[in-house]
Amino acid sequence: MNLYKPDLMIIRDIIQETPDTTTFRLQFKDPKVAESFQFRAGQFAEYSVFGEGECTFCIASSPTRLDYIECSFKQFGRVTTAMRRLNVGDVIGLRGPYGNYFPLEQMKGKNIVFIAGGIGLAPVRCIIWNALDLRDQFKDITIVYGARSVNDLVYKRELEDWKNMDGVKTVVTVDPGGETPDWTGEIGFVPTIVEKVAPAGENSVAIICGPPIMIKYTLPVMQKLGFTEDNIITTLENRMKCGCGKCGRCNIGSVYVCKDGPVFNYTQLKALPEEF
Amino acid sequence: MEEKHITGEHLTAFASGLLEKGYILISEAPDGTGFTAVKDGASVNMNTAARPTKASFKQQVFPKTEPVFHFHKTVDDVLLFDPLPHTQKTVVFGARPCDAKSISIMRKVFNWDYKDEFFNARADNTVVIGTLCKYSDETCFCTSVGLSPSSTDGSDLFLVPLDDGGYAVKVVTEKGQQFVSENPALFGEAKAGADAVAATHPGPAQKFDAAQVRTWISQNFDHPHWAELGQTCLGCAQCAFSCPVCHCFDIVDEPDSFLEGRRMKNWDACQGGMFTKHASGHNPRDDQGKRYRQRVSHKFSYYPERFGEILCTGCGRCTRGCVVGVDIGEIAAGIAGLA
Repeated sequence: MNLYKPDLMIIRDIIQETPDTTTFRLQFKDPKVAESFQFRAGQFAEYSVFGEGECTFCIASSPTRLDYIECSFKQFGRVTTAMRRLNVGDVIGLRGPYGNYFPLEQMKGKNIVFIAGGIGLAPVRCIIWNALDLRDQFKDITIVYGARSVNDLVYKRELEDWKNMDGVKTVVTVDPGGETPDWTGEIGFVPTIVEKVAPAGENSVAIICGPPIMIKYTLPVMQKLGFTEDNIITTLENRMKCGCGKCGRCNIGSVYVCKDGPVFNYTQLKALPEEF
Repeated sequence: MEEKHITGEHLTAFASGLLEKGYILISEAPDGTGFTAVKDGASVNMNTAARPTKASFKQQVFPKTEPVFHFHKTVDDVLLFDPLPHTQKTVVFGARPCDAKSISIMRKVFNWDYKDEFFNARADNTVVIGTLCKYSDETCFCTSVGLSPSSTDGSDLFLVPLDDGGYAVKVVTEKGQQFVSENPALFGEAKAGADAVAATHPGPAQKFDAAQVRTWISQNFDHPHWAELGQTCLGCAQCAFSCPVCHCFDIVDEPDSFLEGRRMKNWDACQGGMFTKHASGHNPRDDQGKRYRQRVSHKFSYYPERFGEILCTGCGRCTRGCVVGVDIGEIAAGIAGLA
């Protein structure tokens, strides 16, 4: 088995989330691969544009909806720029799924608060839909999502869906100065908003994804609310190439983020050397 | 371990026989650059009194660059082709213990979960004939990382040159045993004397206790010593490229045209500033001190913790090649001194 040879996927739909962020809806070209492909919320994959290279993104769709997978990416470098040039019907490569996943079993029967910033909503969206598709197995569900400006909010249509859904509290916020005149959501940084709307820490799990600075200031808030360290869960987004514990790029100490992560709880995070 | 004896002439005949059977034979190039293929049995270089070559034989199992697949685009599809599997049998002749050990160290990371068939195909098709090392200088420190000039670890056959011009042959693995069985006329009864020769080549004096180094590293991630070490390093990565066990790599596309090309697996090194840089611009190892800490810690602490092997064979190549004189043996000794 060639570890580095991807499976081929056809782009079925392209959604322009923001001026620089795009979502692809993808389907395997080979129906046999599609049938055998399985993943769990939180896992990632290596996406490739042939002739340009590979890029690492999470799988942003839910494993409860297996007829397609989705990924969202921001245009930054060579591969993501090439991806933006692709059209519906074009073929890209995918290797994966790789890495560990969100501890769904640990979350069952508890209050869940999902906290995301910017494009960090992509991995959280995967577990949000996963949880919503199994709604009766969880208690209160709260979603807190923030971006720099109204323009930078991704999955806007789904934010509306979640707001209108029974039994889900959805709070969307933009950084001060990022609001538009007709903005009706919150204005403020994610940690401040979380402190106002999150459930008490007892019997609750927090899933946090976003820029390092947001995570850094949200962690103390979660502890103040009484969340135990095992129930504060986040993901690390180190640079990767192979995705499968060989190339030596994503290491933090002896931990391979691509194999032992990307999902870590706060207890595990604290045991790592501070190099992420 | 079974022992045999082979005369000098028989060793040449053995090498010639392997060439006839289609094996590629590589040994240290006389010009000191690296390992090269030899054309006849008599050219096999068994002289270990000379300084080791600049490059190890790492490329034999882990090439500088190799295609992992080829792609061909059509109007509405992409075709992918596997490269031809590596089936060429190769014998490394006269590998010193610090080189011979490299395959078994790297085999761990290339197989601990997912299996890297590119490495495995090459490693499985390689036979290592190790030799007692008669060289030692101030950069060598094999004796500090659990090896010695006469350690057989990693070799399939291990030769110790005797005073009679022949070699004592230690049969270390099944691959080695097969060679001996196939050539009953060339490998004779064991002769005494190998231990006496080995005793005259004890290797460099031990520079540090690797366990002490590991303990210190695991407790001193934020020690200012790391920043000091980073002040000297230029980040050129020659140390990683000359290292027999450094195995970090990059995956890069190499298009021939808009329609065709290949994806390559290329050597990479943790000393470069871009190695860990995120798309956002954030870089977990944003200065040379942090990168040097990674190099030393990976070798003496992280890899032993994860895979049970020190990621260093004490060959001294990185030090000999360093343009600014960074000496990893001295650094490890310094760290052991801090412990």
